[in-house]
Amino acid sequence: MAGSHATFWQRIQQIPRYYIYLLLAAVVTWQILFPIALPILPSRVTQGVYDAIAAVPDDQLIIISTDWDASTQAETGPQTEAIIHACFQNGKRFAVMNLQPPMGVKLANDIAQRVAAEYGAEYGVDWCNWGYKYGFDNVLIALAKNIPKTIGDDFHGNPVTDLPMMEGVENIESVGLVIEITGLANVTELWIGLIQGVYGTPLAGAYTAVMVPSYYPFLDSGQLRGVLNGAKGAAEMEVLVKRPDRASAIMPVQSWAHMLIIALIIIGNLGYIFGRRRTTERPS
Amino acid sequence: MSLESATLWAAAIVTLGVYTILYRENPISRIFEHIFVGLSAGYLIVFIWAQNLEGKWWKPMVHEGKWYWIFAPIVGLLFYFIYSRRLLWMARLVMGLFFGTASGYFFRQFFPIFSPQIYGCFKPLRADASIGWGDVILHNWLFVIILLTVLSYFFFAVPHEGRFGRNLGRSALLGRWFLMIAFGAMFAYTAMARISLFIGRVQFLLNDWLGSLIPWFAQRGT
Repeated sequence: MAGSHATFWQRIQQIPRYYIYLLLAAVVTWQILFPIALPILPSRVTQGVYDAIAAVPDDQLIIISTDWDASTQAETGPQTEAIIHACFQNGKRFAVMNLQPPMGVKLANDIAQRVAAEYGAEYGVDWCNWGYKYGFDNVLIALAKNIPKTIGDDFHGNPVTDLPMMEGVENIESVGLVIEITGLANVTELWIGLIQGVYGTPLAGAYTAVMVPSYYPFLDSGQLRGVLNGAKGAAEMEVLVKRPDRASAIMPVQSWAHMLIIALIIIGNLGYIFGRRRTTERPS
Repeated sequence: MSLESATLWAAAIVTLGVYTILYRENPISRIFEHIFVGLSAGYLIVFIWAQNLEGKWWKPMVHEGKWYWIFAPIVGLLFYFIYSRRLLWMARLVMGLFFGTASGYFFRQFFPIFSPQIYGCFKPLRADASIGWGDVILHNWLFVIILLTVLSYFFFAVPHEGRFGRNLGRSALLGRWFLMIAFGAMFAYTAMARISLFIGRVQFLLNDWLGSLIPWFAQRGT
């Protein structure tokens, strides 16, 4: 079919894949250098995350479980940053922690330090980092019953009981919201199965776009208060906290890249339909 | 060259090196892939020690007199008897312990995870003071129709023959279409996620790396 007798429609199905990659890279580069801005409107599910943060009582803290690493940083990094902005803007204390993979707690720590400096927030008073805690189910079951004993030392190796914001924090009753930011499947299920479903602690999520369809049933059932949907969710959160940043810069690029992919899908399908028609019409 | 500048250059070279895989399989992308795997493994070991084992196991055992923590690694090392035919039973002891624990955790989590979703399927099909007819038809009726037709697709006990069977077959066909639409949406989300990651790397290359050399690039797109 790919020989000299191949028709135009057959040939456009045989485009070498690296030409398509180059085309995509060209569109992405063009839009990063010369963006054509499109409006970003916060969706109901993103608003749900923001409202859940705003609704946390002042005597309770928020756990931000940053279970992501460099491989998903383009989506989860801006999500983490926008969520931390929302916490500081609403005057909520939060603790960063990490179940897996461990790199997330360092990357999130860098983001939290940078954002805290903007608000003049102090480590140990307005926010803290509980570090990487290995053991999944075991950690969450123990955390629900005794937070200081389960966490032990913070990210910097100091006892968490020495931090002023940990005064009065005993068990999961001291937590007003858990936000799970991850590119890993099944971590949210642990929080639901061991914390939200058992103790009723509100839970919200921020996921890579690949994962989001799997978590819509949890939104519908009320187990999740809201979800940030990949870079789009991060951009919407940036709009809500009035801090347009990397995710907002991604969105116009993403839209144009999607248009290119849609065009390629249409061309490929036209090639398939007309190429097949020609083959069946041609006498053998 | 400052440390920050060296980090930027290293990240840019690694990013470009890994992306050479898009042309074809080659030693450069392989080298960077192996470096990434090695670094991740090393980082994991250091982090498990620094953030967990040192504080939770080593300090209590060595400095606080909790000598019985010495038994924890001994139990863990029993796993390695899997390589001995004669002492395999000792490895089975700890495996059994872990299987049992994992099963217990799963049973504990099952109902909190799934029961609210089962309750959530029972939606009102008539308008009342809390919900209008528009929402009932758009959300609840559509939800229930999709739920039942998709469930009928997975109902294999009745052949699609006879009056009931043929109707079940029609419902299953509709369910299959709904499944295809759902899979299409999920695949679109996958494409969106992959493109986001790619944009993130191109942003780094243009805004951060090239921007460190030519300020014009740093100002674009952010």
